[in-house]
Amino acid sequence: MKMPICKIVRTLVLTAATWTSGAHALEIALPPDTVTYEQSDLPGYRLVQQNCLICHSAHYVAYQPPSSPRAYWDATVKKMKKVFGAPVTDEAIPEIVDYLVKTYGAERSQFAGRSGTDTRRTN
Amino acid sequence: MEQDPARRRALRAMGALGAGAALMHPALKALAATTDHVELPFDNGGRELIAFPQKRPLIVLTSRPPQLETPFPVFSEGPITPNDAFFVRYHWSAVPTAIDPQSYRLRVGGKVNAPLELSLDELKRLADPVEIIAVNQCSGNSRGHFSPRANGGQLSNGAMGNARWTGVPLKKVLERAGVQAGSVQVSFDGLDRPPLEGGPDFIKALHIDHALDGEVMLAWAMNGEDLPMLNGYPVRLIVPGHYGTYWVKHLSDIRVLDTPFDGFWMAAAYRVPDNACACVEPGSAPTKTIPISRFNVRSFITNVADGAKLPVGRETVVRGIAFDGGYGVTGVAFSADGGQTWTEARLGKDLGKYSFREWQATFKPARRGTYELKVRAINRIGQSQPTDSLWNPPGYMRNAVETTRVMAA
Repeated sequence: MKMPICKIVRTLVLTAATWTSGAHALEIALPPDTVTYEQSDLPGYRLVQQNCLICHSAHYVAYQPPSSPRAYWDATVKKMKKVFGAPVTDEAIPEIVDYLVKTYGAERSQFAGRSGTDTRRTN
Repeated sequence: MEQDPARRRALRAMGALGAGAALMHPALKALAATTDHVELPFDNGGRELIAFPQKRPLIVLTSRPPQLETPFPVFSEGPITPNDAFFVRYHWSAVPTAIDPQSYRLRVGGKVNAPLELSLDELKRLADPVEIIAVNQCSGNSRGHFSPRANGGQLSNGAMGNARWTGVPLKKVLERAGVQAGSVQVSFDGLDRPPLEGGPDFIKALHIDHALDGEVMLAWAMNGEDLPMLNGYPVRLIVPGHYGTYWVKHLSDIRVLDTPFDGFWMAAAYRVPDNACACVEPGSAPTKTIPISRFNVRSFITNVADGAKLPVGRETVVRGIAFDGGYGVTGVAFSADGGQTWTEARLGKDLGKYSFREWQATFKPARRGTYELKVRAINRIGQSQPTDSLWNPPGYMRNAVETTRVMAA
């Protein structure tokens, strides 16, 4: 049986398309971070940008309960270094902890000289 | 004058993109139109809603790695959670963003007679495909509601979802490889990796009997479609009735072990107090812990939100969902007076013992004022939900009777 050449070509193209669509890799592009660390004159501000942003967005810090005490931030920064391999020097740990607890944790309002639950600035 | 918190956060989000001073730029206006916000009901609960690849706008817990919570109104759409609304949870930011199904391989090794290296097509042909409707829930779902607060991902109630999973039983794969005598556990690793050397790779393990129970499965489809990348494309582990920590995504390596797996994510993380309630006195530490395992019983009202206004003297149908660790929900009780009196809700279609079970009840407020709606489920073995929240340090397994406050007017 004769088949018009254009139909044969179309069939071949469709078959090829089916094959290749089955072979397509799934690829996604993730959106950029939308939360930044709060600006501060504390030395820890520079250190969190150098150390913490390597592995994770600032959301992890920004969304913790504002009541989080210094002991929590201290334990967490040490866990990041000792267990999760963060390249933080031992000397940097107290300054990072100081910035975190005064910017996001229980010592926040006394640092900012304000009370309430939201003393963060809009940059 | 104070700006409202949502606007303040929106501005901050724009500032983070280096555009704080150029709000009228057309491209940024378009961006602003696609960025929404939600206030979760606990202190510091402001969140952005952003559409990640293959997803509708979801609540962003963290953007890197992607961790997304399902907005709660989605659960009123039906008992199956749509793929594009299903929650996302990762531990490390080196997540796969491109996977070729032709070159993907699943390795099965360790204490087996014949190690396997299966392509996706070989896995799909290894046994007759099976389907199960099962809830996946994050161990820390609802952590943000803990009191006293527990540190960790501050989630409301949307780190759960119910889907129809298609795949092959893990048992068939292990039988093909041939499990050797003396094996005690099976470990599971996926393609997600720590971003730095030295971080413990996310690997989980199940007891050998659990791995061979015929219910644990390797799934390639979710609600009839390929898994979305962020839910584990091309294959993830399904562990019905068990917390999401075991549902390893982008599954790449299965190992049969003759000693218990002692990696960080089993030996140190995802552990709960070793007692019947998985709880301790709030603020205290447990003396002994064990790996988290089965879901406890939970139930939610889905079609009436906290603060809703309902008509006096008219009947409102209150709907919701309930689920447990796989014994099956047998009853749901509804209260409109803060838990003083309860009526039996009508259960919806049974989609399987691991699925959300829909329920509905009617509520006709006789007079104006506020009402406390509560819902409480019970399962086949008599497990139910506590009136007061139980507590543990990592903020896992919340299952208190939830309260929805409404106003009749």
